[in-house]
Amino acid sequence: MAEIATFERMLWGVSVVLKWGLFVLLVFRKNYRTFPLFFTYVLVTVVQSPVLFVSYRTWGFQSVASGNIAWGTQGLVIAARGLAVAEICRRIMGMYRGIWALASRLLLATAGLVLVYSWAVARPHWQAAVLNCDRGLELAIAAVLMMVSLFASHYEIEVEQTVRYLALGLFLYSCLSVVNNTVLEKFSWSYAPAWNLFRTVAFVASLLMWAWALREQQPETVSEPTMLPEETYRALTPELNLRLKALNEQLGRFWHVEAKKH
Amino acid sequence: MSLFFYLFFGLIGLFLLLFAWSMRKTHRRGRAPADSDALQESGRGHVAHLPQIRQALGEADLEYLSQKAPGVLARRARKERRRVALDYLLAVREDFEGLLRLAKIIAVLSPEVAVVQEFERVRLAAKFTWRYELIRMQLRAGLAPLPRLDALSDFVSSMSVRMETAMKELGERAALAAELASSFNGGGRDVT
Repeated sequence: MAEIATFERMLWGVSVVLKWGLFVLLVFRKNYRTFPLFFTYVLVTVVQSPVLFVSYRTWGFQSVASGNIAWGTQGLVIAARGLAVAEICRRIMGMYRGIWALASRLLLATAGLVLVYSWAVARPHWQAAVLNCDRGLELAIAAVLMMVSLFASHYEIEVEQTVRYLALGLFLYSCLSVVNNTVLEKFSWSYAPAWNLFRTVAFVASLLMWAWALREQQPETVSEPTMLPEETYRALTPELNLRLKALNEQLGRFWHVEAKKH
Repeated sequence: MSLFFYLFFGLIGLFLLLFAWSMRKTHRRGRAPADSDALQESGRGHVAHLPQIRQALGEADLEYLSQKAPGVLARRARKERRRVALDYLLAVREDFEGLLRLAKIIAVLSPEVAVVQEFERVRLAAKFTWRYELIRMQLRAGLAPLPRLDALSDFVSSMSVRMETAMKELGERAALAAELASSFNGGGRDVT
């Protein structure tokens, strides 16, 4: 246990240094202009560390006041993460108005459903409410990033490498947080030291990924492609879908012939 | 351990799989979302070459061979026919994918899309892939008896006519979409 605590303290120090490093990198490379909400998220995490440090020093690690401050600031961090994820989704698909309108509605619906699911299956103890809320939000973030990645893949949208790494870092961290919180809920506070450790390790890995992604200045805006006239979609798409259906039916008919002969 | 405990793990496992799959797919694709050549090609399709395929899959030749030629030759012919059927199935898939690609490009470049049409296409693509894989596996495993290949040739012949008519109708519009797709390839990532 003592080794874990020492290692964790060391990792915590590393994560603080990396957070500051990422913050400086964002400012120095002027990438805060390109990703203002992601920058806000990093800023909130940077501010969170000294706030926690001061609260632990003042009221002690186990005190209620420190716990409230820790979870309160964590709420802010998660809200900022959510906004950063929204920014990334918009960066990937925003320039394609039609599918972005469809995707944004779907992403919101996905996030809502996941939150409802997380809340519905959570343990009915108010003590676990904060943890469940944290898990629900992280699960929603993971679901949204997974969906946007599927969307981009389906519509063959090229995702910038920087955005891909930012999304990957956010996604992996959210996934680990969900697993970590679920295990913590099950095994209660006996798992707490390991919970803290895994969380910090995942965060350090994400910070490294983001720093790598943002090592160079990113283009502030991307030019929008020339859009088709509105009526083109209305005229062509049903027709194309009909052709696809016809091909499908023919293949199906062929297969049914096969099945009958067996 | 409760069911929900495992459900969270299952969900995360599923998310990780789908995320990795979609990332890999995007990464591997390499080329731009569409090129005008591919679009024009999708207008023509492989169905144009079907009379030859039909002949290759015809029953009469095989029957004749079974009666007159040694067993080895008949077996070889059967194997060849199977290969032709597989190749043709692949060509049909290429036609399907060409159309699918065209539809996706139009959706991406449209200021407004219809949810119903988009989901219908996803459903059709999933259904097609499922059927295609079933038939392909049957053919590969040699489970498909030779008369089936006649059914395939009938299928492709009728489709040839339908697709040609359809593509004639689409003609000008497809050309417009192809033109716009090339502008789609060019745009999108310039620093402004």
